[in-house]
Amino acid sequence: MSVQTAPLRRTLPRVPDRFAAFGAVLIVLITLACLLAPWIAPYPDNEPRPLEGLLPPSSAHWFGTDMVGRDVFTQVLYGGRTSLAIAVVVLAASALAGVTLGMIAGYRGGWLRDVIMRVTDVFLAFPALLLAVSLAAVLGAGVTTVIVAIAVTWWPWYARLAASVAASVSTRPYVDAARCLGVSTPKIILRHVLPNSLTPVLVQVSMDAGGVILIAAALSYLGLGVLEPTAEWGLMVEQGQTLFTTNWWVVTFPGLAIMVTAFAFNMLGEGLRNALDPRRTVR
Amino acid sequence: MTLLRADNVVLSYGKRPVVHGVSLDVVPGGVGLIGESGSGKTTLARAFLGLLTPTSGSIWYGTHPLKNADMKAFRRDVQPVFQAESLDPRMRVGASIAEALKKPAQERVAELMKQVGLSPDLVIRRPHELSGGQRQRVVIARALAVGPKLLILDEPTSALDVTVQARILDLLAGLDTERLLITHNLSVVGRLCRTSHVLFAGRVVESGPTDTLLERPSHPYTRALRDAVPVLGGEPPAAGRSAPPAETGCPFRSRCPLAVQECEQPPPPREVEGRTVACHRAEEVLTGPAGR
Amino acid sequence: MIEVRDLEVRYGTRTVAKVPELDVAAGECVAIVGESGSGKSTTLMSLLGLLENAQVTGQITVCGVDVRNASPRELRAIRGARAALVMQSPQSALSPTTRLGSLMRAALKLHGRAATRAVMAAAVEAVMLDPAILRSYPHEVSGGQAQRFAIALAVALGAEVILADEPTSALDVTVQAEVVALLRRLRAERGLGLLLVSHDLALVSTIADRVLVMKEGDVVESGPAARVLSAPGHAYTRELLEATP
Repeated sequence: MSVQTAPLRRTLPRVPDRFAAFGAVLIVLITLACLLAPWIAPYPDNEPRPLEGLLPPSSAHWFGTDMVGRDVFTQVLYGGRTSLAIAVVVLAASALAGVTLGMIAGYRGGWLRDVIMRVTDVFLAFPALLLAVSLAAVLGAGVTTVIVAIAVTWWPWYARLAASVAASVSTRPYVDAARCLGVSTPKIILRHVLPNSLTPVLVQVSMDAGGVILIAAALSYLGLGVLEPTAEWGLMVEQGQTLFTTNWWVVTFPGLAIMVTAFAFNMLGEGLRNALDPRRTVR
Repeated sequence: MTLLRADNVVLSYGKRPVVHGVSLDVVPGGVGLIGESGSGKTTLARAFLGLLTPTSGSIWYGTHPLKNADMKAFRRDVQPVFQAESLDPRMRVGASIAEALKKPAQERVAELMKQVGLSPDLVIRRPHELSGGQRQRVVIARALAVGPKLLILDEPTSALDVTVQARILDLLAGLDTERLLITHNLSVVGRLCRTSHVLFAGRVVESGPTDTLLERPSHPYTRALRDAVPVLGGEPPAAGRSAPPAETGCPFRSRCPLAVQECEQPPPPREVEGRTVACHRAEEVLTGPAGR
Repeated sequence: MIEVRDLEVRYGTRTVAKVPELDVAAGECVAIVGESGSGKSTTLMSLLGLLENAQVTGQITVCGVDVRNASPRELRAIRGARAALVMQSPQSALSPTTRLGSLMRAALKLHGRAATRAVMAAAVEAVMLDPAILRSYPHEVSGGQAQRFAIALAVALGAEVILADEPTSALDVTVQAEVVALLRRLRAERGLGLLLVSHDLALVSTIADRVLVMKEGDVVESGPAARVLSAPGHAYTRELLEATP
């Protein structure tokens, strides 16, 4: 018996999607820059020099300085650490909770699915901002409040997505075959349902990263999130907005950072969706 | 005592019944369940595998109804062979075969692969790197891993090329397990099953020895089915009337060329010339034109 | 209807189909048989210029149009009208939110034909369907009905030749018999040409006048169906015939 040539065609490496690659490279660059901030930032974090306030961009201060004389470029780098960390923690926690519950709901179906879906409905009914306001009242404003407030309203989307994908994967014949072999439910979910459901969830997560950064920025902007002296992009935009007409650089550079990052994650997500789409066969 | 038996099984999706009281024994020598799409054959197969619970009636495993049976023993005794697409696309085929083994032993996997005519070198391949026939062999090896007494075959060859189909049928015919074959393909039934049941709209309309049913059908549906199969160099297949099954009385009367008023009453199954048939006019079918 | 000389379809450096000669005359049924990977479907698609990223060489004439050198407008005029493609599962090609009647009306208008209720009713009745089916959505009809509707559409658009790729292999045998009977009738009554791609030699033997047997991209044997399928000249044809139940 010889292996036919036709199936081998499909195992050739795929041409990497240019969008995904560009998004990924951009994200790696941004992340590296933020992580290496202590080494590459031209000034120390959060070092006010009141006598050098509101200087326009120059060779000494690429992005200029803010009201209290902090180097905006340095603050954007350090602020990115907070913003990206919030995004990573929120997405990891929401995906973990959402996928776990979604897998159970999707595979088991029946009343268990109904219960889990009703719970997600309840959480989806909370507006993130309102929740953040109340959380800030209890926990006080801060990074934790931002993370909890966004994650609590974020995971139900993943639970719903994962449940619907898992429900469809659960009807595949290989899942039936595993059940007939007497494989236990947790093993079936971990070995068969989860790996075959993960693609759309991963795509959604990468598309959402930009959104989380924007919401975190909005919360900080409203004074419910990250507090001084922690640098964060949303907070920087909030502080700089009144100066836009006179000292545009204070608000523009952190704003651009948010935009570029959100854009990069969206491109990665869009590219992943294309690259992982099983219907897209390469001849 | 048969290993598996359906006793007046009714199966429904929601409120809509798709199988209306089917009784049959999985006897040695191979049992065929012949039906077209919508006949309820796949639903019935899932009930036989314990993947669906009957709305009423029951599946008997030996001396126990399936719901009170020792499921561990049942899963060891009864295994499905679905179409080749029943392999996890992300799993190496060796892992798929080893999934059922208590202690995944490489030698055992290699042995199973040789038994189904595959080179053990293929264990590290993923399903899409194999041909359709090879994938179907892997599916069979996986089912054999637990040492089953009965294989439930659901259209095991319908997605394969004819030359490959013939080889898979040879492999299946050579296995020393009992067989329940679910298919729409009459020629496959002839190869693998001594006894057959013809399913129409969720009811068994005719049962008996496969040869008898195919050579001299006594139910008009069995006859229509046989005459619709094109034969090499033969006449063009005969086209019957198409209509949805009748809601009351004999379900086939909406298509039946022999339907009379009597057919508005449901025909009880009766013995006619060595088979069981649910048709008021079985004698006319038998004495009618012999077909082609 | 169809005239093909020295057709070769390549993806990159790999030749997937090579057909030296293929003709379909009016009222004639020619079948291409073979197993998966034989290039039979590729050949069919190439005749209507429907292959993407493939290099197609040779001479292809369909309804008098040189397919390889035709303008997109000329191609559109034969595709779907004079030369109709019928696929394995037409339901997947029908828009799920459009009623069959609206679809037929749009198709008729697109090809500049009258789209009155009477014309459409006559078209579906010609394939033994109830005109009420025009009010149905694609998911409400069975596979056999969808396939017959696809053929009705082809006939209504004035098809002179139908190119069918496994038109019955997704259907039940009893329904397959109906579709085959319909194709035979259209051939006899309207002189419709038929190019059929199939893996089922028994089916082909009951309908085709001439047969091409393909294997791994090459035509290994061709000739009158009665001769090829009863006294095959090539070992592969014999193998196929022996495997056919």
